[in-house]
Amino acid sequence: VSWLTDRQWFSIAVILYGLSATYSIFLLRKQFREDNRINYFLLLVAFGFHTIAMFVRGLSLNRCPINNLYEATTFVAWTMVAAYLAMGLWSRLRFLGAFASPLLFAIGVFALLTPKDVGLVKPEFTGGGLTLHVALFALAYGAFGLSSVAGLMYLTQERDLKMHKLRAVLSFMPPIQRLELVTGRLLLSGFALLSAALIASALFLHQQDGVLFSGDFKILWSIFVWALYLGLIIMRWKFWQGGRRFAWGTVCAFAFVLLTFWGSSLMSPLHRP
Amino acid sequence: MPVVVLGMSHHSSPVTVRERFAFSEARIPSALQTIRESGIADEAVILSTCNRVEIYAATSLELRKAFAELQEFLVRVHDYRDPLTDEIYKLSEPESIEHLFKVASGLDSMVLGETEILGQLKKAYDLALQYNHTGSRLNKAFQRAFNVAKHIRTETNIQRGSVSVASVAVELAEKIFSSLGERQVMVIGAGDTSEKAARALLSRGAHSVIVSNRSHDRAVALAAELGGRAVHFEEWATEFANIDIVISSTSAPHYVLDRAKLEPLMKLRRNRPLLLIDIAVPRDIEPEVNFLENVYLYNVDDLQAIADDYLRQRKDEIARCNEIIRERAKNLMDARAHPSALPGSDPAFSHK
Repeated sequence: VSWLTDRQWFSIAVILYGLSATYSIFLLRKQFREDNRINYFLLLVAFGFHTIAMFVRGLSLNRCPINNLYEATTFVAWTMVAAYLAMGLWSRLRFLGAFASPLLFAIGVFALLTPKDVGLVKPEFTGGGLTLHVALFALAYGAFGLSSVAGLMYLTQERDLKMHKLRAVLSFMPPIQRLELVTGRLLLSGFALLSAALIASALFLHQQDGVLFSGDFKILWSIFVWALYLGLIIMRWKFWQGGRRFAWGTVCAFAFVLLTFWGSSLMSPLHRP
Repeated sequence: MPVVVLGMSHHSSPVTVRERFAFSEARIPSALQTIRESGIADEAVILSTCNRVEIYAATSLELRKAFAELQEFLVRVHDYRDPLTDEIYKLSEPESIEHLFKVASGLDSMVLGETEILGQLKKAYDLALQYNHTGSRLNKAFQRAFNVAKHIRTETNIQRGSVSVASVAVELAEKIFSSLGERQVMVIGAGDTSEKAARALLSRGAHSVIVSNRSHDRAVALAAELGGRAVHFEEWATEFANIDIVISSTSAPHYVLDRAKLEPLMKLRRNRPLLLIDIAVPRDIEPEVNFLENVYLYNVDDLQAIADDYLRQRKDEIARCNEIIRERAKNLMDARAHPSALPGSDPAFSHK
């Protein structure tokens, strides 16, 4: 696998995510009545190239490749695809792919466009604690990403049912109650991982001289994101605000994460890429 | 020895005629025996359903004579003395084989694409087979017909979707709820369509049904038929907290359920999804309730529009199905004409 660089392998994966996103438009035009196996296969192959890309990068750096924004972004996308492929084994949930692939393509393009892919810069923190820190955050955002995808699917299907659209009954999409369940479970998983990431960071990463740890913008941002998702959980399970509001909540929360992730990293001396 | 079909269906004759030609299951073996013993056919199958009476036969007689004798048999055995004109159709190959394939695939049915006929056809064939009234011709033709029906079901959209209001209601429920197994159904007003919809939901696994009607006796009777329980009409709202699907078909001149009434009830239900099927005319449920979160309201026009769309889609598939049928019928006859030339051909189908 050495004849291509990790970025080239990843570029192939992104092209396949793009193809999958294009095929998703076709599925949408067909009112989700076509078989979704082609999309699943495209994402499976893309996942293979994506994995090779991460493997090549890990080998070249001799560490887990999740230490800068490019690596973290690609890892988030990788966890999303892995989770989708696992869930997609259940045919009724395979349509998550049609909604996930445009997001994966966007994340992939974003990662490739980042000019700051400085993989060889020595991180401020080293060792297993750092790897655990980044891996847990990436897994958490991967789960939140898929949760928002399931939420988007819910909103599409729910709207079609409300508007009495024929495709609501024609499509192969799962019932909205199951979509809500999947959205909720993914969000809970993401929240547990995010909590674990914050706790692990506090326990295993120790402050270095000259670095303002407690007031770091990214840390405050992460705590805000944690509180945001906690709010959604309370809204859902304490006040029974399920359905559309909850789905919108998951979509908006993840949109906030996507839109502010880069900016919050720039404003953080600890996380600046 | 060709395969021929003689019979009548809902396309060619009214029920008043069809019912006089119907065979009870018990009479079919002896009727088949008569056909064979009289030399009209070497092999025969009789299909008798509410929509058709047909004799499929493999005969060595000259076609005109075979049809005349089969019709004469049919008239005689049912003691039918009125004149017959276009009520009976007579098909020889390849139309007879294509007709058999169409019947098996539900293309000749009253409800286009329905699958019940396939079961009825299999039963008719099994009965003839059991009494040794079939041979290589009909065995092969029927086996191929079942195979074609399966192919058409999986490769085309002819059997996709529901074409009745009751079954569309079930499909909608299945698009909202993860499983119907835990769902409680409430029937408000014991009309015929609401009863059908409730039965369809129960047959697909709905947990239980509650019936409420202005005439409590009627509610009790329907509840007993459906295996549910009845509540007094004034009390139906008290049951609402546990209800997931409501089918309403009262003859009330005003709304039985409106937004003001439903909004507080939804809180009691902790905002679980609620499917409201309003089959009443004038409508029982205020259309505004559809704006409430987690409430999905469908009136009879909405359901009918979905059923009509399904039917339109099925009709669009007819040309594709006919093409498949023509090709398969041709293959079958080619295999018979050239038993060793075609792969997978059956020597039993060769000319005798």
